[in-house]
Amino acid sequence: MDALLSEYLPILLFLGVAAGLGLILVLAAVILAPSDPDPEKTSAYECGFNAFDDARMKFDVRYYLVAILFIIFDLEVAFLFPWAITFDQMTMAGFWSMMAFLGVLTVGFAYEWRKGALEWE
Amino acid sequence: MLQIILFAPLLGALIAGFLHRIIGEAAATWTATGLLFLSAALSWVVFLTFDGVTQQIPLLTFIESGRLAVDWAIRLDRLTAIMLVVVGTVSALVHLYSHGYMAHDDNFRDGESYRPRFFAYLSLFTFAMLLLVTADNLVQLFVGWEGVGLASYLLIGFYYRKPSANAAAIKAFIVNRVGDFGFMLGMAALFFATQSLDFDTVFAEAPALAETRVTFLGMAPTAANLIGLLLFLGAMGKSAQLFLHTWLPDAMEGPTPVSALIHAATMVTAGVFLVCRMSPIYEFAPVALMAVLVVGTATAVMAATIGLVQSDIKRVIAWSTCSQLGYMFAAAGAGVYSAAMFHLFTHAFFKALLFLGAGSVIHAMHHEQEMPNYGGLRKKLPWTFAAMLIGTLAITGVGIPLTHIGFAGFLSKDAVIESVFAGDPEWTFWAILGAASLTSFYSWRLIFLTFFGAPRGNPTTHDHAHESPWTMLVPLGVLSLGAIFSGMIWYNSFFGKTDEVARFFGIPYVAASEAPGDDHASDGHAAEPADVARRAEEAHDSHHGAFAGLPGEGALYIAPDNTTLDDAHNVPKWVKVAPFGAMSTGLLVAILFYLIAPGLPARLAGATRPVYLFLYNRWYFDALYDAVFIRGARGLGRLFWKRGDGAVIDGAINGVAMGVVPAVTRAAGRMQSGLLYTYAFTMVLGVVLLLGWVMWRAAL
Amino acid sequence: MAPDLILILPEILLAVFAMAALLVGAFGGGDIRARPILWGVAAFMALVGLLVGLNPPAVGTAFGGAFTLDGFARFAKAGILLGAAILLLMSEDFLRRRGLLRFEFPVLIALATLGMMVMVSASDLMTLYMGIELQALALYVVAALDRDSPRSTEAGLKYFVLGALSSGLLLYGASLVYGYAGTTLFSGIVAAAAAGEGPQLGLLLGLVLMLTGLAFKVSAVPFHMWTPDVYEGAPTPVTAFFATVPKLAALALFARLVHEAFGAIAADWRQIVAFLSVASMFLGAVAAIGQTDIKRLMAYSSISHMGFALMGLAAGTEFGVQALLIYAAIYVVMNIGTFAFILSMEKDGEPVSEIASLNMYSAIAPGRALALMVLLFSLAGVPPLVGFFGKLYVIRAAVQADMVWLAVAAVIASVIAAFYYLRIVYLMYFGAPREGLDGGMAPAQWIALSASALAMVLGVINLFGIEGLAAAAAATLAGA
Repeated sequence: MDALLSEYLPILLFLGVAAGLGLILVLAAVILAPSDPDPEKTSAYECGFNAFDDARMKFDVRYYLVAILFIIFDLEVAFLFPWAITFDQMTMAGFWSMMAFLGVLTVGFAYEWRKGALEWE
Repeated sequence: MLQIILFAPLLGALIAGFLHRIIGEAAATWTATGLLFLSAALSWVVFLTFDGVTQQIPLLTFIESGRLAVDWAIRLDRLTAIMLVVVGTVSALVHLYSHGYMAHDDNFRDGESYRPRFFAYLSLFTFAMLLLVTADNLVQLFVGWEGVGLASYLLIGFYYRKPSANAAAIKAFIVNRVGDFGFMLGMAALFFATQSLDFDTVFAEAPALAETRVTFLGMAPTAANLIGLLLFLGAMGKSAQLFLHTWLPDAMEGPTPVSALIHAATMVTAGVFLVCRMSPIYEFAPVALMAVLVVGTATAVMAATIGLVQSDIKRVIAWSTCSQLGYMFAAAGAGVYSAAMFHLFTHAFFKALLFLGAGSVIHAMHHEQEMPNYGGLRKKLPWTFAAMLIGTLAITGVGIPLTHIGFAGFLSKDAVIESVFAGDPEWTFWAILGAASLTSFYSWRLIFLTFFGAPRGNPTTHDHAHESPWTMLVPLGVLSLGAIFSGMIWYNSFFGKTDEVARFFGIPYVAASEAPGDDHASDGHAAEPADVARRAEEAHDSHHGAFAGLPGEGALYIAPDNTTLDDAHNVPKWVKVAPFGAMSTGLLVAILFYLIAPGLPARLAGATRPVYLFLYNRWYFDALYDAVFIRGARGLGRLFWKRGDGAVIDGAINGVAMGVVPAVTRAAGRMQSGLLYTYAFTMVLGVVLLLGWVMWRAAL
Repeated sequence: MAPDLILILPEILLAVFAMAALLVGAFGGGDIRARPILWGVAAFMALVGLLVGLNPPAVGTAFGGAFTLDGFARFAKAGILLGAAILLLMSEDFLRRRGLLRFEFPVLIALATLGMMVMVSASDLMTLYMGIELQALALYVVAALDRDSPRSTEAGLKYFVLGALSSGLLLYGASLVYGYAGTTLFSGIVAAAAAGEGPQLGLLLGLVLMLTGLAFKVSAVPFHMWTPDVYEGAPTPVTAFFATVPKLAALALFARLVHEAFGAIAADWRQIVAFLSVASMFLGAVAAIGQTDIKRLMAYSSISHMGFALMGLAAGTEFGVQALLIYAAIYVVMNIGTFAFILSMEKDGEPVSEIASLNMYSAIAPGRALALMVLLFSLAGVPPLVGFFGKLYVIRAAVQADMVWLAVAAVIASVIAAFYYLRIVYLMYFGAPREGLDGGMAPAQWIALSASALAMVLGVINLFGIEGLAAAAAATLAGA
């Protein structure tokens, strides 16, 4: 019983620290920050759109295009990190697998570049 | 030679039926006729040269299935030979006759081709009938049996524009199916008991069949009795015996040559042939044999009484046929199969003669068939009158009593009556004797109404009445010869002393001194004591031996203790004279009624109206069957149709097809709303459903 | 490593070719290259298909058991590649005339085909998901190929959203299974399932969720809702593609998953598959009756047919798998022919898909009407056409597996389904005469239509030997 509980002790501590820190920051902001509210400032931040509005509104598709492309290369980096860290133990198969992956991404990148997906205007 | 006899009619049928467009109508019909005459001539050769030894000519293997092996073979023995002659002769003459009779027919439109079809059917019928009589096993016999049924159906309904003809054709077919059902059950029982349907095998097993008992419909008859009764049911249908006789008078809707060939001389006698053919079985089946005797006698009386009052000339003869078939069965039932065959043989001649004569009259009178519209025709139709007169003399049995001189019917019918007297029980003799006087009456009535007295009916028809062409008169002449002489010539062969009959039919024979079981006193046959004594005196005469041999040897099998034939020869003198007396009575009454006092019949009919109506309406058999079977079946059919098929089955299907399915379709259409969340929700529901199901099962 | 690469050589070749085609299109002038690319991709896929189908069997597993190439996979791959090639060729005329012939289309089809090839070879949960997603992502895009048409984009969006949902369910199921078995390899899962005792709830829940995801791919009821809308909205060549090749791939994956990964708990999934089968057969049959649009009708028809195909799977036997393969192959051939006709349906240059426009079509184009009639009869399962034998096989499989109720249900459903096929025949031959279709038929479509109809008739002789091939393929999967 004790052993089990002691294993969860860090989590308990973490919960306490998190709650405490959050509380301190919010209170600090209330106490220390200058308060000059206007409607723009008080509304919730939602990626540049109004939070409460008609869903059927016009928006610029390029925005999403860039976001999606960003995610693709973001994920690429997520793959690349562990690969780079274990580079010293890597087999040739591992190395070339990543090269193939990057090659495929490059083909896609070349395509989208060529199609003009990266140009804002 | 037998192959030619058998297949010539088939060839004729095929030529007439399929090639008439190429070779022309006349050529087609005359080819068929010629082939029939060839067949008939060869039949006579076979009949006259046949030595009494049974032959089998295998043609091909028909069926081999497990233990059931059926070959197609021609069996030639005396029975076959007799039937070949009867069928071949009458069929050939009818073919010839049809050239005249069918020359013009108002039932068909101008230029319509019907003659080749008619001849094709006739020839097809002949082939089927020959197939029947030459059969070596019951299956082959059944093929022919159904073949003649088919041809009969086609020919009765030949005037297919007449609703009554179509109805009659269907009636004939259906009534025969009732009998055929018995026939098929009989075959099945026979196969069940003996593992074979070959005549030889089956006959050899016959004594064992008498010992075996089988359970059928809750009773336990011997196998022989059961098989005999079932096969006789088939014979009753085909030969129009009591209860299954109603189709025969209606079959007169067919052209008259058809009536002569099929419904008088040949097909209807197939039942008698079957009983004789199966004599080895019937000899071991006393109950079945008694049934044959009783039904035959009853039919003879019933049909004769109905014949008294009919006015259609063909129907009178049809009822007469029915009655004469009863005679044949009575003889067979009494155990004298040879007498049955004798009567069959002579009857074919005089009955075909009467029918063809009637056809000649009808032809002359422009298809007028009602006798009240005839009268005084003997001047106009002298040859026809002569032929009909001979036929009537033959059927009524005119001859010199106590001798063997007389018309064919005199000898054969007296043989039947004596046989019945020698058999049991005694009332059958009196019944059949009474029927003989009735036969005489209605036959003479027909002659007097048609040929004597003043012309009645439409005068122009009478004015235009004319004698028939030679093609019709020649057959009448040939058949007249048969009607006169066939009895006298073959009397001894069919109904003579035992040894002669035995020789004729190829039956082994033992002379009296060696005859086993020669204990006449105990054989149970009704015989006068004096008669027994007299027979004992004559026992040394070698003619009074007994039949011997095993079942299947010879054309007929007559058990050694069956002495009815012998007894029939030794009946008292008064019995031998009695048929003549009966005939005379009928003749005298007919003369009184139709020549001397023509008003008498109407008054008698008025005085005894219920009896008259009972007879005129054919004992109300048709009404009874209509009420019980036809309406019953129709009601049942209507029930199944309206309620079962219409309401239940159609209702269910229509309900599903027009109610449930469209409803589900609409529901599915509503579900397919086009809204994404509905779709996602449905998917989630499905997942929940499946998960729930699996968890519920896992929890069990 | 090298042997592994040989086993996936067809996939590598196709991937490289697709990427090369993409670059050629992108740098070689865009859509003016579309036709040669389309022909090239079709020819290449056909070539690879023949290579996979006819090559002496190089069987085995690669990448530690995650990828399997066996007789079953070869059978399915050959069918997928050849079917995709034919569909591309059929589509060319339609797309060109509608201005939809973009060079991305053949590339996307090639990538989808690649995904399907991975699917049928998958013997690991990760390979499975990779194949499914590659296929699905490419298809989401082609569904919205006609991006100026609201219906087409709507179809693409619906397909995408629901596909994402089903992918989520599939992944959830896969994670549960992994949690239970401790491995993603099919062979490991089946071993763990066989070793387990009592109710294995985690495994069962994972099984259900994974089957749900696959049922979405084969559009089995109740995961079929996307089918009619997507079929109707997507451009007809895309619909034709959806209705044929991916179904074959999904069925093959379905069969491999349940037999290789869940073979030890067959009693559990057989019931689920039987349920999916019955529900699909009946809903597909009944709902199609009310349709007026032939593409929608074909959607329901494919739902119903998938129900029949799943019946072979529900039997859970080797013969069942054989029946499934035969049924799927026949289904693909029939649908290729039928869609070849639908592709040619037009009036005044505009594509038409109303059933009513087929009134008295037999008077306009007797030959095509006859071919279509044969195909419809075959779809309805009328003997002696080949479609009848497909049904016969799956029904026999069900009966042999003691699922007589399922066989009876199938017969009833096929009777109901016969109605709407025959209604089209009725309209074509006895309908009210009115202004119907005009226009000709591209050679590729005409060949596909008549060859498919001819196959329905001639195949009666021995089903072109497909029976033996399917038996051998089934033996490698469900044998022993």
